Amino acid sequence: MPTSRKPQPGRTVGESFREYGRGVAGGLLFSLPLLYTMEVWHAGFIMPPQRQLVYVLAALVMLLGYNRFAGLHPDSTWLEVAIDSVEEMGIGLLLSAVVLLLIGRIAAGQDTSEVVGRIVVEAVTVAIGVSVGTAQLGAGGEDTPPGMNERGRGSFGGQLTLALCGAVLFAANVAPTEEIVQIGLELSGFQLAGLGVATMVVGALILYFSDFYGARRWARAEGALGMVRGTVITYAVGLAASAGILWLFGRFDGAGPTAIVGQTVALGVASTIGASAGRLLLQENADE
Amino acid sequence: MNKPAKNWLEWTVFAVGLALVLATLGFLVRESLVTDDGPPEVVARLGAPRPSPSGYLVPVEVSNAGQATAEDVRVPVLLDLPDGAREEAELGIAFLPRGSVRNGWVTFGADPSRGSLRVGPIAFEVP
Repeated sequence: MPTSRKPQPGRTVGESFREYGRGVAGGLLFSLPLLYTMEVWHAGFIMPPQRQLVYVLAALVMLLGYNRFAGLHPDSTWLEVAIDSVEEMGIGLLLSAVVLLLIGRIAAGQDTSEVVGRIVVEAVTVAIGVSVGTAQLGAGGEDTPPGMNERGRGSFGGQLTLALCGAVLFAANVAPTEEIVQIGLELSGFQLAGLGVATMVVGALILYFSDFYGARRWARAEGALGMVRGTVITYAVGLAASAGILWLFGRFDGAGPTAIVGQTVALGVASTIGASAGRLLLQENADE
Repeated sequence: MNKPAKNWLEWTVFAVGLALVLATLGFLVRESLVTDDGPPEVVARLGAPRPSPSGYLVPVEVSNAGQATAEDVRVPVLLDLPDGAREEAELGIAFLPRGSVRNGWVTFGADPSRGSLRVGPIAFEVP
């Protein structure tokens, strides 16, 4: 085992404090657009409690996955990964409550279910932001990359998890807006197909041609076929994330198949960019 | 399995985080069980009119005791005067979540104490 970022037997209070500071910074950086979006405040009381529950549980699963494959502490056991995930969710809930209170979105005259709903809907993205911030915003200084050993991270499951986290982080910021509905409903079939192809081209560009941080290590394509395969899988993850979030935000309620496909493809642009960049960026590494 | 090595700050953050997560999950589970698919129940109550430079101000308190959020709530307030004339004002509320209360005002040119003041039929949409 190489020197880890977590000196045994534990971190000092100062080190942990800086780590939480990075988490808070990351949470705010990634989710401020969402905290300042009206549709998200409304989603807090329109979204039925069952869906809010699904949203929080899905977020916890994603946090577990992210902390497992890209988290800060490479030699973590599953117990430590679970503890980190609960901490991040907790910070997300607290942070979104504080910001909503400061900007007057939680006020008297609101029912507990409304207050909790507003906090929960915001907290999920804040928590993922906290997680990414904790793992990525660090100054480094030690030469161990965060996350599991390379075999785990390079695995198909690990790549899928990171792609999904990136997709959700990016897509959640635009998913609840009216713009997605408008684009999805107004584009014709040909335009949507064009948008889909363009999205895949951008995804391939990020994964294979942009020389992004980590691109050489994590997205080595085995020939043209491997490149097509990687791009299509990333787009599939993007579309799945996009459909899941749209369903959670009630965009599929009462919508016909055309509206469902249209919105999924429209949001798929954001989620696929997130998924491709996520696969590379969310797993900062030390290969240079 | 060896116990994770953590300092007091980390244990505190974990304890607070765990409490918040469990409380949130518990609340959402309870809400999921108690709420049904019932419609919003919007009720409007009028307060005491008071004179103002622009006429007479009447406070309106609108609440939703139902199970769902009401959107685009329209609350007409009617003032029937003794001479048979009628003044009508309408209060619009963008969103009225379940269990919530919103307050607004309507204004009338005539003194409401001279006639009969009442809430008209309320309309709303379910998002």
